[in-house]
Amino acid sequence: MNPSNPPQAAEYGGDEVSAIVLDPGYSTTRAGFAGEDAPKSLIPTYYGKYNADGQEKLVFGDDIFVTPRPGLSIYNPIGKDGIVEDWDMAEKVWEHSFISRLTGTRAGNPFQNGLNDVSADELPTEMEVESEEKPLSDSPLLMTEPGWNPAKAREKTIEIAMEKWDTPAFYLARTGVLAAFASGKASALVIDIGASNISVTPIHDGMILKRGVQHSPLGGDYISSQIKAIFKANSPQPITITPHYLISSKSAVEAGQPPQVKYKTFPADKAPDASYRALLEERTLSEFKECVVQVWPGPTRLSAPSPTGVSNEDMARTTPGRPFEFPDGYNQVFGVDRFRAVESLFDAKAAIPDPDSAFPPPTPAQTIPELVKASLAGVDVDLRPHLLANVVVTGGSSLLYGFTDRLNHELMQMFPGPRVRVTAPGNTSERRFGSWIGGSILASLGTFHQMWISKKEYEEHGPNIVEKRCK
Amino acid sequence: MAAADVRDMLDLPAEGQPRPHKKQKVVEKRPEGITRELYALLGERAPPIAINENKYKGRPKWMNKSMAPFTNNARSDGLVLNHWQRKHESARPPVPTPAPAPSESQMEVDQPKEEEKEDVPKLPEQEYAFAKYNVKPRLPRRYTDDEYNRHLTSDDWSREETDYLVDLVTDYDIRWVLIADRYDYQPRMDSQPDANALVPAKHHRTMEQMKARYYYIAATMLSLEHPPSEMSEAEFELHEKMLKFDPDRERDRKELAALQLNRTADEVREEAMLLEELKRITSNEQNFITERRELYSRLEVPISVGNTTMYQSSAGLSQLLQTLLQADKSKKRRSILGDGAIQSPAGQTPTTAGGMGRADTPVTQAANKKGSITSRETNQMVRTLTPAEEARYGVQHHERVSAGVQFRSDRAQRLTQAKSNVQTQKLANALSELEIPVRLFMPTERVCKDFEKLIQSVNMLLDARKVSEKVESEIRVLEASKMERERKLREAAGISGPSADSGHPHVKKENEDGDTGVLGHSAAQGAQQGGGNHKRSASVLSAVSDKSNKRQRR
Repeated sequence: MNPSNPPQAAEYGGDEVSAIVLDPGYSTTRAGFAGEDAPKSLIPTYYGKYNADGQEKLVFGDDIFVTPRPGLSIYNPIGKDGIVEDWDMAEKVWEHSFISRLTGTRAGNPFQNGLNDVSADELPTEMEVESEEKPLSDSPLLMTEPGWNPAKAREKTIEIAMEKWDTPAFYLARTGVLAAFASGKASALVIDIGASNISVTPIHDGMILKRGVQHSPLGGDYISSQIKAIFKANSPQPITITPHYLISSKSAVEAGQPPQVKYKTFPADKAPDASYRALLEERTLSEFKECVVQVWPGPTRLSAPSPTGVSNEDMARTTPGRPFEFPDGYNQVFGVDRFRAVESLFDAKAAIPDPDSAFPPPTPAQTIPELVKASLAGVDVDLRPHLLANVVVTGGSSLLYGFTDRLNHELMQMFPGPRVRVTAPGNTSERRFGSWIGGSILASLGTFHQMWISKKEYEEHGPNIVEKRCK
Repeated sequence: MAAADVRDMLDLPAEGQPRPHKKQKVVEKRPEGITRELYALLGERAPPIAINENKYKGRPKWMNKSMAPFTNNARSDGLVLNHWQRKHESARPPVPTPAPAPSESQMEVDQPKEEEKEDVPKLPEQEYAFAKYNVKPRLPRRYTDDEYNRHLTSDDWSREETDYLVDLVTDYDIRWVLIADRYDYQPRMDSQPDANALVPAKHHRTMEQMKARYYYIAATMLSLEHPPSEMSEAEFELHEKMLKFDPDRERDRKELAALQLNRTADEVREEAMLLEELKRITSNEQNFITERRELYSRLEVPISVGNTTMYQSSAGLSQLLQTLLQADKSKKRRSILGDGAIQSPAGQTPTTAGGMGRADTPVTQAANKKGSITSRETNQMVRTLTPAEEARYGVQHHERVSAGVQFRSDRAQRLTQAKSNVQTQKLANALSELEIPVRLFMPTERVCKDFEKLIQSVNMLLDARKVSEKVESEIRVLEASKMERERKLREAAGISGPSADSGHPHVKKENEDGDTGVLGHSAAQGAQQGGGNHKRSASVLSAVSDKSNKRQRR
């Protein structure tokens, strides 16, 4: 076969082996069968923990949002930098993601599942205890990881997949690579705006260029903290977010008027943990980000004077505001503030100072343009124009209104010479699940099946094989 | 279009009534499963519930496929995965009973004791369709220790690092971008005993260094395998290319590329502008070339072979114009265009320019002669000038003007040219005596007029002198003959007397005649002197008279 001839259209081929693609992120964990166009199972990576009857109980999936159980506290097994911190819980959350929707729990011993009334003496003691069923024993598993995942974490991942889940074949792919694949590109500069991190990953021939990988913590959670700072300094009155579970009843009020609301109160011993409230506040903030927050479209920064002489902020003030109603009924029209919340992603000086925020003020090097610059500086010069012509935007927070326009302007200003072309799928799910979709494509390709790390290879070489094979 | 429309167009009488539609016979098919009698009882209305039984119409498509295990030849470990496969494609014997074969045993990696498991289906012998895409680039053979020591040792590269490089190249299929990105060689501690004391300097290798080293190794290995004389053409080319790799040049190129990439917006704009300019210039040039080509093709039209010298003088040119206009007019008489074309030069001729000579060009003359009414009207519209104004503006009226352009000085010049050279010479002599140049310095109207008069006077004087000379010589001849006669008489009669006194009054009379002419005093003097000259030398007299005689004869 001559490599210079492209394969025939019929030769591009999927060959589905019922592989499962698992794309764990900081905010959500996506899982689904390879070859489908969206993950079947989408659960929050957060899990809840509470005590009931003296026993510690865990809540996974969307259930964590539903009931404010007494003492319910919310945790995330993944650290702020996107690397797993709590491996035991990460394993449980991930397992929940595919068991709940994809594979189902294995049928246990019918005598022990509690459905059959069997008296103790009738219990057949001679019956051999079936070896514990493992959840993934007939599905190859493709997992994703951020580009800066350390070797230890990778080895731990394959260990879990092989030993706890008993998968016959495993592969670990970079999220950036998969997002590029989802856009149909083998070489690209992937800008991933996630919940806890934004990252810039140069991809060449389906492999990341490690020296060019850049990431910074200015993700969706950072934007939430900026919005909170805006709420605190809001002009008619500071806004506090009261999640729905704390509200018993409310009535409509005029814009800017204090809310008419009756709160639900929980006795101290019945109340959920503060982390639960933070989680639900975050949901309201996500809604706010979706409905109100807007990225200043550029081409110049929000603080800069526009070419007409009027400052951009004044220009922004003239645009009509956007109303938003909070769970307690308070509503207000947001004007220029809705631009300021995200401006610091591009201009570190525009960050809104907030001493209570968990995020330190961003440094200029953490902004997106600087990340791109640093990333390109780390790759070969011959590659840079090609990467700039193939910028792929992915991640849920990149859905902020006007984000890609601004990014395009920033990149064009920074690199006036080469052609800059930003590819951002317009479809919301394609943007949110970019890396999962890429994984779905990859794991259903006939040519990919030679890349799996099989159980046999794992047993021969140990977990270190992941470093050799998943380059 | 309906038939009625067609009839309407063709003026056909409309048909009495529209043709009745053919009645479509709706034949309801009797569903199967109902007897004819029962169906007849139902009447025309079909029952609301379909009575049709669902019939099994063959197996749906997905049932042609089955989950089948396969191995991939591109793998070395014999991993067995399951995929959906067409049933007839798999040549394997049908699975005897699916139940006893545990599904995970199919999925699991082939174990060495596979032959013991009888129920595991035999894998299809055919090759996995995607295995053929597992291609690797052809790399030169790896060196042996001996070869390395003999040919490949380098001061810069240790054996270990070279091995590391070649491993990386193999791993990443000579994709240098990736190799340079992942290159992270840690020198082994035990090879350097004192390395623990010193922090080993991180030796950063650039892609060019790696390339240079690897190409050197690859080229050497290639030439070891086949000496260059035995290489195939492709191999030799590759060998040459690898040997000629110049890392410095490559580095310079990349520096330039980085400069090009990091241009400022102004530079980019300037470049764009220059490119635009260049585009404009080239397109202009193209236009110019096409225009020139057109011109050339036009020039290649057969040229007239006639002599053009006759058109080179101004008079010739105006004559040509005249004939052309005539031809034009004969073609289309008094066409508006012709009138306009004729009118325009007259309008353009400024009256103030009259000082230079003729106010009217021959063209307008011709137009006036032709007498188109419009042109007359326009002429009448020109205000008439008083004589004083005419003199001031130099407007003149000519009785008759010869065709063509001529210079006033030419006319004056022509006057100085007599019919014979001798006469011309005489005129010139007379002018030079008066210190008037033959060619006038300022041939204004008045100067020319005076010059004309002068020349006329000179001519007249010359004629008068000629006549006087003739008369004189006749007198002399007659006197001589008279003296001869008297001498003869005296001889005969012995009386002799002087005769010279009688000649003088004659001459004086002639001179007085000359003075009465219009000519100025000096001219008369000159003529007198000229006459005097002749008188002084008696020897020339006869010759002069001869010549004047000759001229008279002519």
